[in-house]
Amino acid sequence: MSSVHSDPLHPVAPSGRRRSTDLYTSQKLAIALGFAAVVITALIGIRIGTSGATLLDVLQTFWSKISGTVPTDRATLLKHNVIWELRLPRVLLAILGGAALAVAGVLFQGLLRNPLVSPYTLGIAPAAAFGASLAIVLFGATAGSAAISLVIGALLFSFLNTALVLSLASTRNLHATTLILVGIALSQLFGALTACIQYFAEDEVLAAIVRWTWGSVNNSAWYQVLALFVLLALAFPYIRFRSSALNAIAFAGDDSAKSLGVAVSQVRLQTIAIAATLTAVTIAFTGIIGFVGLVAPHIARLVVGANHRFLIAFSAIIGALLLVIADAVGRLVINPGVIPVGIIDALVGAPIFLYLILTRQKAIE
Amino acid sequence: MTLKISSLEVGYGKRQVVKGANLTVEKGELIGLLGSNGSGKSTLIKTIAGINSQTKGTITWNGDTDLTRLARKDLARIVAYVPQSIGLSFGLDIREAVLLGRTPYFGTRPRDEDWAHVDAAMERMGLDELGDRAVTELSGGQGQRVLIARALAQDPQILLLDEPTSALDIRYQWQTLEVARDVTRKNNVAAVIAIHDLNQAARFTDRVVFLQDGVVIAEGRPAEVYSPELIKRVYGVDVELSTHKGFVQVHPLSEHGHAQLGLQPATSEPVRAPRLAEQREYATA
Repeated sequence: MSSVHSDPLHPVAPSGRRRSTDLYTSQKLAIALGFAAVVITALIGIRIGTSGATLLDVLQTFWSKISGTVPTDRATLLKHNVIWELRLPRVLLAILGGAALAVAGVLFQGLLRNPLVSPYTLGIAPAAAFGASLAIVLFGATAGSAAISLVIGALLFSFLNTALVLSLASTRNLHATTLILVGIALSQLFGALTACIQYFAEDEVLAAIVRWTWGSVNNSAWYQVLALFVLLALAFPYIRFRSSALNAIAFAGDDSAKSLGVAVSQVRLQTIAIAATLTAVTIAFTGIIGFVGLVAPHIARLVVGANHRFLIAFSAIIGALLLVIADAVGRLVINPGVIPVGIIDALVGAPIFLYLILTRQKAIE
Repeated sequence: MTLKISSLEVGYGKRQVVKGANLTVEKGELIGLLGSNGSGKSTLIKTIAGINSQTKGTITWNGDTDLTRLARKDLARIVAYVPQSIGLSFGLDIREAVLLGRTPYFGTRPRDEDWAHVDAAMERMGLDELGDRAVTELSGGQGQRVLIARALAQDPQILLLDEPTSALDIRYQWQTLEVARDVTRKNNVAAVIAIHDLNQAARFTDRVVFLQDGVVIAEGRPAEVYSPELIKRVYGVDVELSTHKGFVQVHPLSEHGHAQLGLQPATSEPVRAPRLAEQREYATA
């Protein structure tokens, strides 16, 4: 047995050995580099398109919007409008949507103590798909996901699903595994309801529903960017404040977390509400993008470790990068056509994820 | 300083699990909770730790602090809980796993003082050279030491161990119990351990408490309280007793008695657990 510190109130660090510190230099560096990578890929993403745009065009557009000056040259004005009205909201929606889904993925995986869960585990995606399908049938929302009725339909049923899960969790004091099973049941229910709509739908409606479920940022709009930005800006400080409680729940379990002073039920309910809201709002705007919320947290864990204090921010960065890159690739492959980001995301992300799993198996296990 | 439990009743829904338990534990004393499965051992421990909140009765510390009325964080600064196993879904490194014990003390960012407690607890448990390893890479015995180090980092006055040896092989059971007793003495905490093995309880605890159907039916020093009649009543097994190196030992008379009593087959001369220093060499080899 090694030597004993007689005064546990005033412990002395072991002499002659490495003393623990709170530097976490590599994690902080990874977050800084990741943030820079998001900015660079975003600038590249804004340039991609049929009308072309140089970095100078992008910067000039920013400057003209900030300074309020309007270009006199018609071609420049058109280019600025394309960048400002189409490309910028598209890229920003990809960044914020990817970040939101990744953060929701980290929170769900930690709170439910299961590496296999995603933001959709509690049934949010099938509920949103049902809401969107209903809106398409009732209001003919074939213009795409920008159609407000479609967004409202998806949001409404996502929140209904979340409210159902949360009320069951709070009134019946459900544990993590039961919550996952409740999510599976609700997924099946909403999946069956959507299948009913699809079964009886006309071809055009069916095509619109299927297109929505692919997930894309093709119909991005500034109000969507603003809504997601505000949500993330409100959610981040709370999540960061709760990072040590999240660590206790994720790594010690409910009983031990309670004995460590964490109000487990309260933290779980509040955090699930936040994660579910981030997911619901994102997929109401983009449709179902299925890969990023599951994978981004795992990739982030390989780089910065499992501590939620750094994991949440770095997952957001990975999620943003995955979607921006996937969107850029989707616009380049069959230019001038666009492959939806949801499809490219899985096509590009799955091999990267497989590579990481196979080369860093030990770290994952 | 005394932990005093009076007329404690705990239930899950309509089912009463602890029915009016009374117990006192002094500082520096290790109490063994004994009883068959479902007798209420874990429930009693989890109630003291504040994990179960639907209770009647009182749990006081130092005479005037009612633990059932304390805010969760304040309670966690007095009481630490060691579960059966580490059971992780994701891998923190050992240093961060021990840092979880400081959760009641810091907000978002651990202070130097928190890290100092982590270092001290790790050195105390012989983990200081394994700090960067993932917890998922550890053996059962090392994992249990991480959990006890986490509890020590909590800087508790009351230490609760909920069957900490049940997932371990005999060598590490022995070592974990040695550590529990050592920590109780040297950190001067009031400690309660739920344990299955009557002979290990006799060897390592100061007093034992027998629970049956949520009621304390016997309490005292093992040598004084163990009797064939009591063990027959609690476990339904016929035994005879002997004394070995000053410790009372239980010997079942039936073939299946060892399993029924949770006894290790060879308890008179237990396998010596590797010392922590030896394990360090092995682990860093």
